[in-house]
Amino acid sequence: SGELMDLIRTEGQRMTAAQPSETTVGNMVRRVLKVIREEYGRLHGCSEESDQQESLHKLLTSGGLSEDFSTLYPTLRANVIEAINELLIELEGTTDNIAMQALEHIHSNEVIMTIGYSRTVEAFLKEAARKRKFQVIVAECAPFCQGHEMAVRLSKENIETTVMSDAAIFAVMSRVNKVIIGTKTILANGALIAVSGTHTLALAAKHHSTPLIVCAPMFKLSPQFPNEEDSFHKFVSPQEVLPFTEGEILGKINVHCPVFDYVPPELITLFISNIGGNAPSYIYRLMSELYHPDDYEL
Amino acid sequence: LLGFLKQARGETIQGLRSSLLAAIDTLSRVDSSVAVSSGGELFLRFISLTSLEYSDYSKCKEIMIERGEIFLRKVSLSRNKIAKLCHPFIRDGARILTHAYSRVVLRVLEAAVESKKRFSVYVTESQPDQAGQVLINLQKMAKALRKLNIPVTVILDAAVGYIMEKVDLVLVGAEGVVESGGIINKIGTNQIAVCAKAQNKPFYVVAESFKFVRLFPLNQQDVPDKFKYKADTLKTSQNLTEEHPWIDYTSPSLITLLFTDLGVLTPSAVSDELIKLYL
Repeated sequence: SGELMDLIRTEGQRMTAAQPSETTVGNMVRRVLKVIREEYGRLHGCSEESDQQESLHKLLTSGGLSEDFSTLYPTLRANVIEAINELLIELEGTTDNIAMQALEHIHSNEVIMTIGYSRTVEAFLKEAARKRKFQVIVAECAPFCQGHEMAVRLSKENIETTVMSDAAIFAVMSRVNKVIIGTKTILANGALIAVSGTHTLALAAKHHSTPLIVCAPMFKLSPQFPNEEDSFHKFVSPQEVLPFTEGEILGKINVHCPVFDYVPPELITLFISNIGGNAPSYIYRLMSELYHPDDYEL
Repeated sequence: LLGFLKQARGETIQGLRSSLLAAIDTLSRVDSSVAVSSGGELFLRFISLTSLEYSDYSKCKEIMIERGEIFLRKVSLSRNKIAKLCHPFIRDGARILTHAYSRVVLRVLEAAVESKKRFSVYVTESQPDQAGQVLINLQKMAKALRKLNIPVTVILDAAVGYIMEKVDLVLVGAEGVVESGGIINKIGTNQIAVCAKAQNKPFYVVAESFKFVRLFPLNQQDVPDKFKYKADTLKTSQNLTEEHPWIDYTSPSLITLLFTDLGVLTPSAVSDELIKLYL
């Protein structure tokens, strides 16, 4: 199984190198690696060492060092395939799991704010709309204006929706009870990489002491830390910001169109995922459950 | 401590344990330091865990010595581990502020230099209050950094607030890491942390895992006196309120991340690690 893990690891490295901003790919590879390790450990019979993390305890008790994955077990393959199937089922059910928690968090006659378009948040709000009446304000999230799409879908479910520009976020914030957003990635320290404009929304919410709830499935949790400020940024064509038809001015200015924003963990109140609700400071624990420390650097 | 164990002549486990305790006590009495006491306590724990398994005394002692060697080896490797974890957080062209002399910080900066990063360092004087020692302390850290060809500027402790706007990140070592995730370090660290928070600069702490200590101070007064003052001061002085303390406590809310040989941790993860140990 050592060879299997190496194979998976090289494939994972290739895929993440191709598109570094899509961290989900790397996350799933790490999940699979952990599954393999667990199954191997179970068969190997050392269930006392079921906690494979580094810890002070381990420092003191174990004489030997890391285990060696070379022994062959014929049933290992079947076990791993079964575990991966379980993983697949979990993945398919994530949106429903999150939506099921909606009723606990949304109450009647509340004003909820969101930004851009997120399928998770859409499912969340739709589920709550079946039993409660509330209003939603959607920030349109220029330059792609995905907020419009979100508003259309929500209003189809008879939820009172208002669309406004990003510039008005702070102005309206005093009327808002809760902010619910989706995200692209969750980082190891509890921070977010989300659509650009989210940081502004988070700061406005903090200023008014409005709770900021992030709905995201666990496969978006990535063990990376935000060490280089610009390593996560993805820029796209500035066509959206300033169209190419404005010919003359283009030679004299620099136009940037970043896609993502970094939101620090202090601004977030709660993470709602398929495993339940968690505080940002608890993220390290979830990470240790999902991934093995040796896999953090793929 | 390991040497002591090798020479110990006690015939029972209990005897051995109490003589070890006495040894740790003497060590701490000579020059109290948080790291020494936590290291000592961990070693003791280590021993007690062994004694549960073997009933034959002499065999037990051999195993303990062997384990002690492993412990020592792991601990010396930990500094390199930390350096490997920490140096990606230092960007090219970064300006780092550090405080007092710390071998771990030095190792991290060495690793960053090896990975071809260029950065500059500001070191605080970290004034001890006894005259005469001033020059020695000042030069230790700056000299070591200059040897690595890193541009260094020594600044006054009082100039931390002034220099904070120029700095990109703050990196300090720790003498002890407490249960809440806060740290105990040379006096002046708390000030630097508060300034860094006020100006939104990341405050990173590097510490080996044997420095994790079972204390939970809620404020500066809660730190036990035997760590705050040098041993001879404790013995000779009449009124402790007139002496200057050597260490202070920095609360976890001011710390961004802790780099240890157990990985990169947020302050809230520290208590989890401690519980895992002392289970």
